[in-house]
Amino acid sequence: MSKLDYRKLSRASRWLDVRNRKLGMWAYALNRITGIGLVIYLYMHLFVLSLLLRGPTAWDSFVALARSPYFLALDVILLAGILIHGLNGLRIALTGFGIGVGAQRALFTTLMVISAIALWVAALKIFRV
Amino acid sequence: MENPFAQETKPTSAWLWQVFTGVGLVVLLGLHFVANHFVAKGGLRDFSEVVAYLRNPVILCLEVLFLFCVTTHALLGVRAIFLDFGLSEPAERRLNQILKLAGVLTIGYGLGVTWIVIR
Amino acid sequence: MNTLKVQLQIFRYKQGQSPHYDSFVVDVPDTAHVIDAIDAAWAIHDPTLTFRRACHHSSCGSCAIRINGVEKLPCITRITDVWDGHRPLRLDPLRNFPIVSDLVVDVTSFFQRMSAADMAMTCEAEAFLPFSVDTFAVADLDPKPVDLPENFSRFSRFEQCIECGICMSACPTMAADEKFLGPAGLAAIHQARKKTDDPVKVAYLLGLADGEHGVWRCHSAFECTEACPQAVDPAGKIMALRRELIVSRFTKMLGKRNV
Repeated sequence: MSKLDYRKLSRASRWLDVRNRKLGMWAYALNRITGIGLVIYLYMHLFVLSLLLRGPTAWDSFVALARSPYFLALDVILLAGILIHGLNGLRIALTGFGIGVGAQRALFTTLMVISAIALWVAALKIFRV
Repeated sequence: MENPFAQETKPTSAWLWQVFTGVGLVVLLGLHFVANHFVAKGGLRDFSEVVAYLRNPVILCLEVLFLFCVTTHALLGVRAIFLDFGLSEPAERRLNQILKLAGVLTIGYGLGVTWIVIR
Repeated sequence: MNTLKVQLQIFRYKQGQSPHYDSFVVDVPDTAHVIDAIDAAWAIHDPTLTFRRACHHSSCGSCAIRINGVEKLPCITRITDVWDGHRPLRLDPLRNFPIVSDLVVDVTSFFQRMSAADMAMTCEAEAFLPFSVDTFAVADLDPKPVDLPENFSRFSRFEQCIECGICMSACPTMAADEKFLGPAGLAAIHQARKKTDDPVKVAYLLGLADGEHGVWRCHSAFECTEACPQAVDPAGKIMALRRELIVSRFTKMLGKRNV
């Protein structure tokens, strides 16, 4: 009997479709997106560190660039990703050990509020530096 | 007909490693971020400040531990995303090999750069 | 009691044809459930419309579908709760199972997962009926007859779960990994593990849960628990299994150190 089945790619990207899904699914999608962003950032950062091998001139000119407002704005975006991924990750660790499973939605909301506050404070500090 | 779901597979520790490195990163990344962007004057260290920073043995140990945790956590995360493509057993083994190699190369690169900078 | 003129948009698929949506307009009372509208579409407009339904009171789990993209049991979902009166009510089959025809999916793999947890599917009343339990072993799932040990509780129906498959459709990992035991399968393992102290059986069940396609593939989306119409809380059971497996690993590690 011929049955209709889904293509592998559409099934592998199902996690992106958060329409009609609840908070836990939003948290999962957000964690994955920030995770992918952070992996890309990690390798960019490691690549930039190779400037250290070219000596003080190369590194110090990069540092001068990194102090520009555009870079600082990117740093704030990076910090947003770190806070969301890190704090949500703690929630996943806790619930994964069977702790607070019933409160997973409240936990997510609370941690995202904390992220927003921490990000705001950090952004103020970053732009005042 | 054998039940394909009644086959035992070997236990996996990937999730546990992901959680432990993740919790470690909350601490280590926190320290790294604060030390490099909030403690450092002007929010960034120039070349001489980087060298002095890495020559501190406590800092060096923490940064090496951080490198190990972040590489492991990142590549396990990448692995989880690729596993969702419903890979065959040989493809899964190949994925594990490639990611292990990427991990070794990443950590090796990080240690190498650090060594050259501080010696 | 008023009458509603409900617009339905139902997913259609027949062998050899392309999948598409058919529109139907049916008149039903405003107290009707979605399954009544599907019944009306079938009875009045198109007898080739294929769907499952039986008990009409969320006991059998047969009718599970997606209503406007969300997994629900249409037999207990009132039309007025899901239809805004303007846009058509969209009905699709469950996800993550091959579609046989229209709203009917092939649930073989679902019952294979439940069977892997060694959940005996008989209930007390059936066990006293004058025919053997072989009658309930579906030939292509597991050719061996169900073998109940003497002191095994005869009432072995999975208390909350009605095996509707809604959690399996809602789960994002089920979409991605065909070998994943799934929320229902893992909840069944948890249930079966609670019911036994036989070390061989416990080792088998925990071995299934501990594998690459067991509890560790869950990404904590919690959609299964949100979608379940029977409060089984499969996510909670997956996490409980994880806790047991972690404790067991650490105990073994410490046990080895003490030797």
